[in-house]
Amino acid sequence: MAKPKVAFYWNASCGGCEEAVVDLAEDILGVVDAVDIVFWPVALDFKKKDVEKLKDNELVASFINGAIRTEEQKEMVELLRRKSELVVAFGSCAHLGGIPGLANFSNRNEIFERVYKTSESTSNTEGVFPQVKTQISEGELTLPLFFDTVKTLDQTVDVDYYVPGCAPPPDIIMDAVNAILKGDLPGKGSVLAPKKALCDECERNESKPEKLEISEFNRVHQIEVDPEKCFLTQGIICMGISTRAGCGQRCINANMPCRGCFGPLDGVKDFGLRSMSAIASIFALTNEENLSEDELEKLMDKLVDPAGLFYMYSLPSSILRRKRMEK
Amino acid sequence: MNNTATNSAKIMAFCCDWSVQPGLRLSDFQEEEEKAIVTMCSGRVGPELIVQAFEYDAWGVLICACPLGECEHDANYKTLRRVFLLKRMLSQFNIEPERVRVEWVDTGEVGKLQNAWNVFYEEMKKLGPIK
Repeated sequence: MAKPKVAFYWNASCGGCEEAVVDLAEDILGVVDAVDIVFWPVALDFKKKDVEKLKDNELVASFINGAIRTEEQKEMVELLRRKSELVVAFGSCAHLGGIPGLANFSNRNEIFERVYKTSESTSNTEGVFPQVKTQISEGELTLPLFFDTVKTLDQTVDVDYYVPGCAPPPDIIMDAVNAILKGDLPGKGSVLAPKKALCDECERNESKPEKLEISEFNRVHQIEVDPEKCFLTQGIICMGISTRAGCGQRCINANMPCRGCFGPLDGVKDFGLRSMSAIASIFALTNEENLSEDELEKLMDKLVDPAGLFYMYSLPSSILRRKRMEK
Repeated sequence: MNNTATNSAKIMAFCCDWSVQPGLRLSDFQEEEEKAIVTMCSGRVGPELIVQAFEYDAWGVLICACPLGECEHDANYKTLRRVFLLKRMLSQFNIEPERVRVEWVDTGEVGKLQNAWNVFYEEMKKLGPIK
């Protein structure tokens, strides 16, 4: 019997999700035994035309990582959607927009201006910018259109399941692959990861006092971070409070606070706002009645770039999605 | 109030059930028309709820809460801190932070409520819709 066919594809991403598949180590042999990988640009020499030749829904699943920021990426994911029974958004960028999604605090013009003109290492006296079409003597050259706004995968095509993380850890990937192969899947739209918050699993949870409070905001480079104590009690914003568990606490174990790559828990519409709400709730708690509104505002000055912090991995999936640009 | 059919600013208010709602009932404030939503406590008005109002084309959101120190759940302090941070975040999105306002309204201060609404309404009319 023919093995079920799967595809891997990447969009606006760093390549870490591809690396995560390789990190499966010997487990990848089990995966290759069970499925036929018919498309994986980073590792295998199959082309777009090979995907086009497939029948609709011939692929059991496409694992797609990266956010959507160019016309080409949109075209490819639409093609893969047609050819796949299941589309799995793989990793934070496909799931929520990820780090490339922070570009939504800007737009194409600003990005091109910075990258191709004003950056310190660039010399572009003629003001040459990428064009969708360029005529040269040999013919016409084309580049995919660069969108103003970065989108998540599910804002572009219908997505069946989400494998969260930057990058998804091996055990979460294997659980997802096994669930698909066995057909043992939860409802459409589910995130294939635990349903608890990271704080629930965190070893530092025991050091958390009964009443959790942040008395002032600190950043990791400003204080000596105690590797045993809950980050929040040290004034360092840690998003484990509102982030889905399952990452294996890779950041926490490296003595760095959670930044929310696993995204929100079920039922949360806007990860950044929910996280901000949680942090604001426990800020200056015991002192609240003694602080004037001005004093409180001044204390909050120590929290720099709140939107960039709370939306580090999820800006395109937020309610506001992007900064409003001047016309 | 000033809600004429044309050129009217779309504003909505979240009003605390304990301090604001009794006054609201006694006033000629028409809840449906004026888009005043009664919540059990201003602490229940999370930033997601406020931003969702913007998603539904609101020009501004007014949160009417018990004065500081008078909330049964001490949640109005939380509301204040959340709104402070939300305003900063909105600025980063190029949305005027003035579009969110907290007003402390005590039980029976219908006049204050009405006045706050009118002032906010006029300000939002000047700002216009979010682009």
